Formats: sequence, C-alpha cells, structure tokens
Amino acid sequence: MELSQALPLVRRGDELAWEFFVRFFQGRVFGLAYHYTAQAEDARDLAQDVFVRIYQNLALVPDEPGCLPWIIRITRNACIDHLRRRKARPPLWDLPAEELFDLRATDQNPEEAHLAAVRKTMVHRALQELTDLNREIILLKEIQGLGLEEIAAILEVPLGTVKSRSNRARLELAQKLCAAGMGG
Amino acid sequence: MNEPLLPPEAGLDLTRAILARTSGPACQRLHNLACAFVDGELDSAQGGLVRLHLASCPSCQSLVGALIETRNLLPALAQTNPGPWFTQRVMRATTRRPAPQNATDRRPLWWKLMHRPRIALEAAYLGAAAGLVGSYLPIPTPPVSLRVPAFVHPLGASAQRVKSQVVQAERRSTLALQQSLRPKAATSAEPRPTLWQRSSAWARARLRAFRSAPPPPAKGNEASPANP
Ligand SMILES: [Zn+2]
Repeated sequence: MELSQALPLVRRGDELAWEFFVRFFQGRVFGLAYHYTAQAEDARDLAQDVFVRIYQNLALVPDEPGCLPWIIRITRNACIDHLRRRKARPPLWDLPAEELFDLRATDQNPEEAHLAAVRKTMVHRALQELTDLNREIILLKEIQGLGLEEIAAILEVPLGTVKSRSNRARLELAQKLCAAGMGG
Repeated sequence: MNEPLLPPEAGLDLTRAILARTSGPACQRLHNLACAFVDGELDSAQGGLVRLHLASCPSCQSLVGALIETRNLLPALAQTNPGPWFTQRVMRATTRRPAPQNATDRRPLWWKLMHRPRIALEAAYLGAAAGLVGSYLPIPTPPVSLRVPAFVHPLGASAQRVKSQVVQAERRSTLALQQSLRPKAATSAEPRPTLWQRSSAWARARLRAFRSAPPPPAKGNEASPANP
C-alpha cells in the first residue's frame, strides 16, 4: 500500500486507511516530539494529541508531497505550545539509549547496535546545546529532510536566513560532537 | 622529485610560523568550506586544498569527521519507535470519537433513531402510556352474528343445525352476561366501568361498608374526611 493511495481513503474516514496512516507517520511524529520535549512520556502524549488533531481535520489532510510538511507543522505547533506551558528549557534525555532506539530494528550485531544507539544519544544531547533556531533547522532539514522553502514557511523566517543558517548549524553541531569526543 | 630541505615536523612548524605572521591560520576558511566539502560540492582545486589542510590539521580533521558522521546519522533520527502499544492507543483515542464532519452518514433516520441508547426507555414509556389510555376505554363486545364463521354455511343441513344450536347457545350466554351486568348499571346509573375503575372484591366490600355506615357527627364547621 502506497501513502498516495491511502490518503483519499483517509480523508473519507476509512478506519483501515487511518490505521495505516497512523503506523506510517507515528515514528516521525513521536521522533520529532521527542526531539522537542526530551521526555518519552510527554512525547507519547503529544504524538497522540497530534493524531487526534489530524483526525478531527481529516478533510484537510493534503496529498503528497505536502502531507509530511503539514504533519510536521502540526507536530511542531503542538510541541511549542507544550514547551510554552512547561515554561522551561527541555531537560536532558530521560531514557538510556537502549530504550530509545530499537536495537532489534537494525541488522547490526548487538555491540555495533549499542554503539550506534550511544552515538544517536550523543547527537540528541549535542542538539540540545544548539540555539533554538539552529536546532530547529537541523531537525527539519537534516533529520526530517524538508526543503529550505518548507522550513522557512514552517519557522516563519526568511528563506535567506534558513539558507545561511543551515550550514552554520551543521558546523555548530559538529563542533559540539567534537568537544564530546566524537568524530576524531 | 625534490627532497624536502627540512624534516616534516620542522616544515609544519615553519608553515605555522609564517601563517601566524601573515594571514593567520587557515582553519576558519576550512570551516566555511567544510559542509560543501562533505557534501561533495567543491570543485577539484578547492577540494585539493581542503585535503592538504586536513592532512596537517588534527582539529579540522576531527571537525570534518564529525560532519561526515552527522551526515550519515541524522536522517536515521527521523523516526523513533514510540513503543509497542502506541498505535492501539491512538486508534482508541480517535475511532471512539464522533465521525469526522466530512464523512457523510448515509444510514436512514429511523436506523439512527433506533440505535440511540435511550430507545429502550422511550419504548417502555410509550408502552406504559398506551396501556394507561387503553384501560380507560370501554371493553368492546363484538356483535353475536360475527361469532359464527361464514364458512359453516356451505356444509348443508347438519351444519345449519349445528350453526343454529351454536347461535342459540351464544345468545343464551350473551343474555346471561347482560343480565348479570344490567342491575349494576341500572342502580348506579353511571357509565360502564372501565378496566381502571374496576375495584377488587375487598375494595367493593369497603365501599359498601362506608356507604351503609351513618355519617360521623359534625364538629363545628370542620369537615372531617371520611375515614372508616
Ligand atoms: Zn585547521
């Protein structure tokens, strides 16, 4: 089943298509919410709220390729609201790497998989040390793979700002990782 | 090939010394090009210069190493497993809600009315109301002629005889019934009792006793209620 085939059924309220849609996007929505909140339980609640919001507006679900940016925008808005309510910077990651990243999903041997999970956790931590704008640009461009124009629209900043910040944010992240002993 | 005049370490030291007195270290220039270098966007001349600098600068080496690592690692962070029960949780939270506005419900009105939770209560209420109204209506007595089915006639004389006997028996029983009802109707001069008004034998006995008892002595203007 392709997403493009399922979307018209999703808009019509077909339960099976909706279940497919949830499975298709839940990893991204939860992953993004986890990047913003840094707490697995908060991220799970937020991700569920995001899907409830989408379900209440099924008729508005856009076709591809606009579907992912639309979902990311809803998820980001939900996360920003949540952080505003919490009125604090996100705390450090509340789960060890083994719990966060599903080791069974990789075809590596357990040692390599553990190492990969540790590296991912290091990247998460380094992201938290970036400025808000740089972190969001990394999240949306390098992690979620959105285009510069889509990012500019979601963040409501000029396209030139996103362009000039994009590489600077990558460099800043790499410098943080070097300081943490990665990359050498 | 020309042999270098100085050993490599001494050559590096000399390069650093010259750069320190001229342009300063080239690391900042490399930082500006590092992302384009990692993405393979530099032309061959610039790429060669970057490689030359990296060969002699450990800090820029580790920076480019980290950039390459994040370039491979970051897309893998796009999806994180939310746990085994997440899909069920979302399905429970969404499909129990009312259907979205755009989904048109084509079931007929009577079907939707029948499938409300209150339908049993409403049916019970209507049934009770109908029973109450029905109990106030007089009991119908069908005419005698209707009680013999018409299909007996074609069976001949014996059937006619049986029919006339049945009619007479019916007439007798109807007369007896009317006789039993007539005195009551004549004395009370009230309309025929309805199901609702029919009282039990005990209640009738109490009513008779009340009617035959002498009226209680009046106390001033006070009207005492009948209370046997
Ligand atoms: Zn350097």
